[in-house]
Amino acid sequence: MGIMQAEVDQPARQVDGGASRPSARADFSTGAIAPIRTTALGVIGILVLMIAYRIYQQVFAWSAGLDSTDPAFDTYWMGLLQWQLPAIVASWAGLWSYLFVTRDRHLDKLEPREELKRYFRLIGFIFLYAFAVYWAASFFAEQDAAWHQTVVRDTSFTPSHIVLFYGTMPFYVLFGVGSLLYAMTRLPRFAEQLSIPFVLAVAGPFMILPNLGYNEWGHAFWMMEEFFSAPLHWGFVVLGWSVLALGGLLVQIVQHMTELFRRCDA
Amino acid sequence: MVAVILFLAITSAFHLHFMLLAGDWDFWTDWKDRQYWVTLTPIVAITFPAALHYVFWEKFRLPFGATFAIVCLIFGEWMNRYFGFHVWSYFPFSEIWPATMIPGAIVLDVVLLLTGNFFLTAVIGGIGFALLFYPANWPMLAAYHLPMEVMNSVVSVADYIGYTFTRTATPEYLRFIERGTLRTFGGHSAWVASFFAGFVCMLMYFAWWYLGMLLTKVVTVPNKFKQLMGLKKDPRPSSEQLAV
Repeated sequence: MGIMQAEVDQPARQVDGGASRPSARADFSTGAIAPIRTTALGVIGILVLMIAYRIYQQVFAWSAGLDSTDPAFDTYWMGLLQWQLPAIVASWAGLWSYLFVTRDRHLDKLEPREELKRYFRLIGFIFLYAFAVYWAASFFAEQDAAWHQTVVRDTSFTPSHIVLFYGTMPFYVLFGVGSLLYAMTRLPRFAEQLSIPFVLAVAGPFMILPNLGYNEWGHAFWMMEEFFSAPLHWGFVVLGWSVLALGGLLVQIVQHMTELFRRCDA
Repeated sequence: MVAVILFLAITSAFHLHFMLLAGDWDFWTDWKDRQYWVTLTPIVAITFPAALHYVFWEKFRLPFGATFAIVCLIFGEWMNRYFGFHVWSYFPFSEIWPATMIPGAIVLDVVLLLTGNFFLTAVIGGIGFALLFYPANWPMLAAYHLPMEVMNSVVSVADYIGYTFTRTATPEYLRFIERGTLRTFGGHSAWVASFFAGFVCMLMYFAWWYLGMLLTKVVTVPNKFKQLMGLKKDPRPSSEQLAV
């Protein structure tokens, strides 16, 4: 944050002071180096999808989501599930394959300025990841508590779960694994050495997905009522802690970018 | 952008942690009439502030890790108070409101800023964080603590609200919290519970400060597939080659 901004400003001032050097300041200050438009489009896309999910819940949860044996439930909720799961798996395969196939095969010849641009793109990618995680882990997760305090779960695929567990959670995995793949295929430092904080920050939230199996199994066998602090849910908690590793990744990115700014300025 | 990433990430992780350990019971007015609330909430809530103290203070010399974490948590909870509990599940606002921990968080930050020492922050700030929790929520809670008579029994207003708005899927809720002497109208045992929470908060602060250190270490391991990623094979001979 503050330090990163200082690191951004520092070489800009130095470049400005040297008349014979190329004007790197213009690029840094006008945002030409940062993927603002792409990131904004991503944020708008995620926002539209999440609002659409929320409106769908508001309209069809009470009218068609109270009884899993109701034909309307099959139409509105199982239909949504059957549509979204293939779409999410296809998006995983599409984005991750694209990132790998279009990888830079000459990372050892990468120019510092281009590498710096890619760091900004990586930050944009992580931004989208954090935004998607917010909707899943905070917004729709506690909505699940609100819903099941009132409506008994008679199936694992409730109107809350279909959006939370089988919609938003696989969705943030798209960006988590995507950002890690982007870093490893386009940034030499991440291709050379695997970053443990980065892997933790992606793998922890990703592992919440298989933990859903345990959660649903436990609810089916042990308890149908809502009891949010039950030990059954603590797997989510421990895996969620791994998000703190983003702090280590932040430190690492700041170190790399500081070095790149120096090289750009040299 | 980095600040927003941190805000979103901490909101997500801290909210997930808090809702599944303190429970969504932090939302319920009638649950706030129990000693569990005074005991459990600060203990579960001091975790991320302690971890962020390590990250923000040790790495960036920023003294607001605790306040930042608590603001993130409360933002996530208020979004749910409105969109989840009220708009979707139709609970009345008077029945659902998340507790505040901001005064305790500010004290935790101030102690760190003044002492620059994580041990003193744990001991002084930790107990301050817990002791301030109850009075910080009193202005919102006081009206619900008033005793009233219902069917020849003395209950609090909070109790009665909880009784009339039945949470149909939560029989466990009633079995769990109604035992022992956990139900009071905010007498001396609330403060005893707060002191106990303060003691555990000190220990939690140590543990989470350390966890923050572990999780934010910059550790890397060699990527064995680096050629696949576009880098040349390391020209240096491997240990196996040297052995031959």
